[in-house]
Amino acid sequence: MKTTHEPSSPVVDRRKFLKVSALAGGGLLVGTYLRFGESVAYAATTSGADNFAPNAFISIAPSGVVSIIAPNSEMGQGIKTGLPMIVAEELDVPFESVTIVQGDLNPAYGRQSSVGSGSTIANYTPLRTAGATARAMLITAAAQTWNVPAGECTTDLGAVVHSASKRRATYGQLATKAATLAPPANVPLKDPKDFKLLGTRVPGVDNQKVVTGAPLFGIDVKLPGMLFATYTKCPVFGGTVKSANLDEVKKQLGVREAFVLDGIQGLTPGVAIVADTTWNAFSATDALNVQWDEGPVATQNSAEMARQAEELAKSTPPAPMPADAKMVEAAYHYPFLAHATLEPQNCTALFKNGVMEMWTPTQIPASGQGLVTRGLGLAPKDVIVHITRLGGGFGRRGSNEYSIEAAAIAKKLEGTPVKLIWKREHDFAHDNYRSNGWHYFTAGVDSKGKVVALHDAFVKMQGGPGDMNAGGFPFIAVPGSQVKSSKLPAGIPTGFWRAPGDNGNVWATQCFVDELAHAAGRDSLTFTYDLLGQVPAPAAGGRGFDPVKMTNALKLATEKAGWGAPRQRGEGMGFAITHTNNAYVAIVADVAVSRDGKLAIKKLTAAVDAGTIINLSAAEAQLQGAMIDGIGAAWFQKLTIEHGAAAQTNFDAYPMLRMNHAPPLVEVHFVKSTAPPTGLGEPGLPAAAPAVCNAIFAATGKRVRTLPIVDQDLKWS
Amino acid sequence: MSKYTLTVNGQARTVDVAPDTPMLWVLRDSLNLVGTKYGCGIGECGACTIHMNGSPTRACQTPVSSVGPSAITTIEGLDPAGKHPLQQAWCELDVPQCGYCQAGQLMSAAALLKRNPRPTDADIDKAMAGNLCRCASYTRMRAGIKRAAELTSGGVSEKGGNE
Repeated sequence: MKTTHEPSSPVVDRRKFLKVSALAGGGLLVGTYLRFGESVAYAATTSGADNFAPNAFISIAPSGVVSIIAPNSEMGQGIKTGLPMIVAEELDVPFESVTIVQGDLNPAYGRQSSVGSGSTIANYTPLRTAGATARAMLITAAAQTWNVPAGECTTDLGAVVHSASKRRATYGQLATKAATLAPPANVPLKDPKDFKLLGTRVPGVDNQKVVTGAPLFGIDVKLPGMLFATYTKCPVFGGTVKSANLDEVKKQLGVREAFVLDGIQGLTPGVAIVADTTWNAFSATDALNVQWDEGPVATQNSAEMARQAEELAKSTPPAPMPADAKMVEAAYHYPFLAHATLEPQNCTALFKNGVMEMWTPTQIPASGQGLVTRGLGLAPKDVIVHITRLGGGFGRRGSNEYSIEAAAIAKKLEGTPVKLIWKREHDFAHDNYRSNGWHYFTAGVDSKGKVVALHDAFVKMQGGPGDMNAGGFPFIAVPGSQVKSSKLPAGIPTGFWRAPGDNGNVWATQCFVDELAHAAGRDSLTFTYDLLGQVPAPAAGGRGFDPVKMTNALKLATEKAGWGAPRQRGEGMGFAITHTNNAYVAIVADVAVSRDGKLAIKKLTAAVDAGTIINLSAAEAQLQGAMIDGIGAAWFQKLTIEHGAAAQTNFDAYPMLRMNHAPPLVEVHFVKSTAPPTGLGEPGLPAAAPAVCNAIFAATGKRVRTLPIVDQDLKWS
Repeated sequence: MSKYTLTVNGQARTVDVAPDTPMLWVLRDSLNLVGTKYGCGIGECGACTIHMNGSPTRACQTPVSSVGPSAITTIEGLDPAGKHPLQQAWCELDVPQCGYCQAGQLMSAAALLKRNPRPTDADIDKAMAGNLCRCASYTRMRAGIKRAAELTSGGVSEKGGNE
């Protein structure tokens, strides 16, 4: 074929994004070609487009069964249901007839990361295009068979229909013939206003398996002859093994092997114990006695970090402040958080005939494969990764250290499958935590109540995500605003935690904006509308912050929540806004605080502009869950570092929100939109906690400037 | 190692394990009933909730040697067809997110509905406070319990199940 990079060429577009072939045994197979996170428009202009690998396959069997191989990991965000809905909409098949098959890690599928609320964004247009193209080919197959113009044919839920002659053929009957046709170029996609399936409520495709306890998760994997392993690392980050009582451990009931792993690239040194049951492996861990070389991180602790953070902030030069402005200062602090996925990290591995086969609950399977290939000197083709369902992700399973640990253990037990399960204590002690953070805000408010200066001295741990975004709201609303970031020394591992950066920074900034409104003597809602009005409009077609969309979401949320209704002392409403993963979310919290300081959240009301909603049920659930997750984290959670190690290693010391603290009323309102979908796994989280803290202020006059809320004195009289 | 004959989901099952082995691991590793989940190992998260003689019990805190003739019911045995009113309600309202905690949640909720077919919000809060949902699917779980109460219109069906 002639190569051309003309983006306007429909032939090139089609060949780059779709591949059609026959299924073995008859039927139609459509592969879509797109790299993760790239839009069709962008990909069409990329010169290396010929190298694209298909990232999803649709197949239509002669039986009429439509299936799609989905590359992304299901962790509760509903991707295993949402992606086939997109196909079914354009293909015009009953959703019940579509089956979704979890793809293994496969270079042919392109990037398979399920992070950054990006799976839907990446797959929306390719899957629509694939569905619409397959539908067009099925129509052509029918038209040719019946010898009628294709334009006279239409489709009806899995069949092609020619009304004039009252003929009808199912997709299954047509699929084999369709596979022999050249795929048409530039098939028009549906006008979103004609969507019949997208935007409706479709329950999760695996719900029945979930509610009956069927094996789904990584921890449920069982292979013949499988052994069970634990892996104990130094509680102090970066520590190594000096010696361990392995002979004693090997005498424990059911223990088959115990050994030290060290010197493997990408693997934290530690002690592996392999036993005949999980319990015997866990019990033997209690008998393990290790002499550690703790290393330099042992000097780190949370109290010292707070002292250093204040020092760093004080050394930051102050912002220029107009002489006549009223200065407002406040310091906000949020702590480390653990991910605490309820399914602890685990991986099952079998090393046989030079091939490492793994079953992993992972958000980035390719990174696990990479760790194993580099660490154990295996070729990528010899490291097979099966993606299981994840018992929670929240960003934790983007790193895959449990994969290399399981693989290193399995390599020592060649021919025997090994399931590594982290004890809960190990899971807390060796997380990649949400970084702690400190904001030292200084602002100036003029006599008219307008913010004329805004400065943030921000401190977090070195490394990991969560840096302060100087281009975000409210900074972009104040000309000359400054964000100066400083870092504490590395050592404590930090990583992606649901809505990285925003999960703490939006809490701090949105609480401070509320403080500014009160300092200016103004109503906080009109104050925020005015600030939004000062934000420059984004470039056309850009992904920048759109103040109009944000304003509209805030209007909707406050209207639905009944903002402004008078409240008695001890009750109050607060709101907060965020632009996260390209979605606009406004949340109103309605709280009550008893005189003795007990907080109850009575109602949450969210308004969300997330573009086109794929599955209303999953979208609403993600918002509800993310809001309560954000509130639970802010209300109860704090991980502290003592002697270079996590001080909390189970749920007794790290309480999390339960049913009895969940708000009884949680409303989610989506702004009607035909724009492409944004992600939705994360945007609901960041604005929930500041809405609650602002409501606490309205109820009690007390500002919460340090998290968690449960440690603050909210008593009032 | 010792042999124990247990009554699990209405069937006699014999296992040969250490006496201190928690029922959680007997179920998961010896009997291949993996619906009961490991979350914390200290009775804090509720993911391992099973029924012992109808009472919600943390399997991670229940040594096999303490079980004796008690009837054990797991999520796999809550309803022979997987159609307990709670399971129906959970599917109808699309309650699960990641789903890892849901077996434990359902077992706690089933025990609640059995003794209190029309629970109030306060009853639900009290009965479910031992179960952690990391995805925070509490809004729909609460609605699901109420929906299941409706489905049974006045009482949980006694047909089916193993209790």
